[in-house]
Amino acid sequence: MKLAYRALFLATVFVAAVNAQGPRGVPPAKPAGRTLPDAPGRDTVVRVCGATCHGPEIVAGKGYSRDNWSAVVNGMIARGAKANATEFGEVVDYLVKNLPPRTGSAGTGGAGFIGAGPDDAHVVDGEGAQRGQSIYVAECITCHGNRGRGGPDSLPRAQQGADLVRSLVVLKDRSGALIGDFLRKGHPMQSGKSSASIIGKDLVDLSHFLHLKVTDTLRSGPFNTPVNVLTGNVKEGEAYFNGAGGCTKCHSVTGDLAGVGKKYEPVALQQKFLFPRTFAFARGGGRAAAGKPTTLTVTPAGGKAVSGVLVHLDDFNVSLRDSSGEYFSWKRTASLKVERNDPYAEHVALLDKYTDKNIHDTVAYLESIK
Amino acid sequence: MRIAFALSFLAAAAFAQTLDPAKLTKAPTDSWPSFNGDYSGRRFSPLTGVRADNVNALSLGWVHRINVTNNSTFPGTIKSSPVVVDGVMYFTIPDHVWAIDARTGRELWHHTWPSRGGIHIGNRGVAAMGKWLYYVTPDCNLVSLDAKDGKERWHKQICDPDLLYFASAAPLVVGNHVIAGISGDDLDVPGYIEAHDPETGERQWRWYTYPEPGSAEAKSWPSVEAMMHGGGMTWGSTTYDPELNLLYFGTGNPQPVIAHKGRMGDNLYTECIIALNPDTGKMKWYFQSSPHDTHDWDANQTAVLIDGVIDGRPRKLIAQAARNGYFFVLDRATGKNVSTTTFAKANWAKGLDAKGQPIPDPAKFPQLDGALVSPNQAGAANWPPPSFSPATGLFYVNASNAYSVYYIYDDTDKPEGWGGNDRGGHSEGVLQAIDYKTGKIKWSHPWNGPGGPRSGVLSTAGNVVFAADPFNNFVALNATTGQPLWRCNLGAGMSNGPISYELDGSQYVVVAAGDTLFGFVMNAK
Repeated sequence: MKLAYRALFLATVFVAAVNAQGPRGVPPAKPAGRTLPDAPGRDTVVRVCGATCHGPEIVAGKGYSRDNWSAVVNGMIARGAKANATEFGEVVDYLVKNLPPRTGSAGTGGAGFIGAGPDDAHVVDGEGAQRGQSIYVAECITCHGNRGRGGPDSLPRAQQGADLVRSLVVLKDRSGALIGDFLRKGHPMQSGKSSASIIGKDLVDLSHFLHLKVTDTLRSGPFNTPVNVLTGNVKEGEAYFNGAGGCTKCHSVTGDLAGVGKKYEPVALQQKFLFPRTFAFARGGGRAAAGKPTTLTVTPAGGKAVSGVLVHLDDFNVSLRDSSGEYFSWKRTASLKVERNDPYAEHVALLDKYTDKNIHDTVAYLESIK
Repeated sequence: MRIAFALSFLAAAAFAQTLDPAKLTKAPTDSWPSFNGDYSGRRFSPLTGVRADNVNALSLGWVHRINVTNNSTFPGTIKSSPVVVDGVMYFTIPDHVWAIDARTGRELWHHTWPSRGGIHIGNRGVAAMGKWLYYVTPDCNLVSLDAKDGKERWHKQICDPDLLYFASAAPLVVGNHVIAGISGDDLDVPGYIEAHDPETGERQWRWYTYPEPGSAEAKSWPSVEAMMHGGGMTWGSTTYDPELNLLYFGTGNPQPVIAHKGRMGDNLYTECIIALNPDTGKMKWYFQSSPHDTHDWDANQTAVLIDGVIDGRPRKLIAQAARNGYFFVLDRATGKNVSTTTFAKANWAKGLDAKGQPIPDPAKFPQLDGALVSPNQAGAANWPPPSFSPATGLFYVNASNAYSVYYIYDDTDKPEGWGGNDRGGHSEGVLQAIDYKTGKIKWSHPWNGPGGPRSGVLSTAGNVVFAADPFNNFVALNATTGQPLWRCNLGAGMSNGPISYELDGSQYVVVAAGDTLFGFVMNAK
């Protein structure tokens, strides 16, 4: 009786899973919460992250570490996101505070990278996946490998297990429905037990673990962090800093850069000197100050020069805010002189000159400034 | 009586929304009948109502705001190029299609698809044929609608959302085929493009973007397993040469995307320009824009047909300003390279091979400690469509000079999916005008702001180029010199490619920014 009930349950779940791929019927319920938590900075996130390339829903349901959120925002600045330094700071702070890392949820339930996957996709439960890992280690790991990506090359070909991350049974599974169907037919297990004995909660837990292994491979997965950028030569970095790099024109390791290696992780150091407007976090501390703004000096024909922080500059108009906070705006004409001063122009020019060795050596040198 | 009958017949012919496919074989005038306006992909308007010497009088005729959210609580963004047939304009966002009056922006109908999920990043628009429309959905369906009321005729599943495929590209109708491409680069799944019957929706053929196992091209992969999980999506726009009866489209990045050690080799047919027979789905030729790509630089940018003259000889050419920073001109009958140049900063290749394809520099593959690479992942160009003007002989592309650092994150034996990414960066936007005969930049207009996927481009016989700058301006420039002539700040970044058509003697230029379509018009005197 119990078995019959079990079979019926499995059959029902199986049919539901298959129907999800078939012709349109009643659409599944939308995953809740494709919106953003109410908190300071939300309006800025909605405006800045939803301006052109995608809507603000792109970050809904995401969860990253502080390091990864600042990497995402820095990447978006480089792709042309429009905001001033204060607004970008608000965006980073909002994302870090309100969208912390989530275990294994990326890529599922429509909440993966820009909502990848069907709305009714399997959603990984972190604790379930941990329990499932024990089953996997006990019964599957020898043939299917540490990460479920198929048998290790050290095994004879015939003994190498299938790549479960690329398995249709896994990818189309919901809560163990298809995986259970597969196991019920009989499949070798490490303990010698019958694979059909994996049922109920164990089956669901194993399913959580295998789906987690899929999400690990996504761009929104949890392992998206540089492994080691500290590969350069300190001495050669010092020589570059003091010589060809021209860094001493503006910087000093006993002045503005004193203790910089203590302040930042190597990855942040690397990004900050390559792209000075990077939003980086100090080691264990708060977000570093925003970069210095570009300034303008505008001189109307026969008029007095006005200097201040660039607010807007295009082919037709120019505006700035001076040191007293006064706003000035002009239509651009042939007789209106506009001088632009990017404090990081030298850093930009270096992008065309650096070798990767220069970069790694400089990271090593800056990291040594403790 | 006879006259009355004839008149009513004429009236019906003039006003019913039906598209004669022959319209796609010449530059559009009273319509904009496909994503690119015609089969060539030139996005060139032969209209001269708007000219360099009068564009300063171009005025706003109407505004249409959609007031619809995009699979969330947030407003949708219009990334489609509208299609205009017989005075009616059709445009999309993911899961939504609208018909509006092309003269006034007034809504005629709004169709909604009940979504099952998938990536809702954008939808590029509809294809039209006869009385029917075709579009694709994020949950992998090709849908046909009746153009008069937006009622669904049929839908067919073209991909599997469980494998994280989705659909976004505008279909193209060629003869008795609706051509539909697919999207998605999250999992290691293969790309393909397919053709469906315009009446029944039945699939006619599917062409996978990997070679036949055992063929010479298959040797560009270390194994059949790697090849059949090797990506190569088909999310760009498709062009077509009726004389050669060949479709042209680009293929996307190989999988795994960044951590590439399990797929050493050129990875055919990812990152290629492909020529395909639309009746059989058989490949005629391929040209690989990015052999062994490791930077997510999909080669899906429009392959634009140019009927030109090189060294005094008339040539049937095709040109692509690729995401990797290279500009390719090929013979479109054979795929043989005519010239390869760069149109933006590109530091990742060691040179060109005998076929005119860039040779990737292994030092610029993503590295554990980072490699400084130009362009960045967003690319020197991306989905926003370029334009070619036969009047100036110039190919216009809104380009990006960009750098970022590419890292390998997964250094294990068998990386899958992504396993790395780029970080940070710097970019500068520039509108480039490229002489197709030499591949050299004729003029450059820097925007003095960041690059990134910026906007599509339209060129016209009135010696005008329309494009967007990084500051929400929709800008008209002199097509010969690059001098900015006119602008309108749209309040949001331009989010599609501009189109143009003439109705009642007035030329319209229509563009989208965020959730709003702007209908500019040069009123007839």
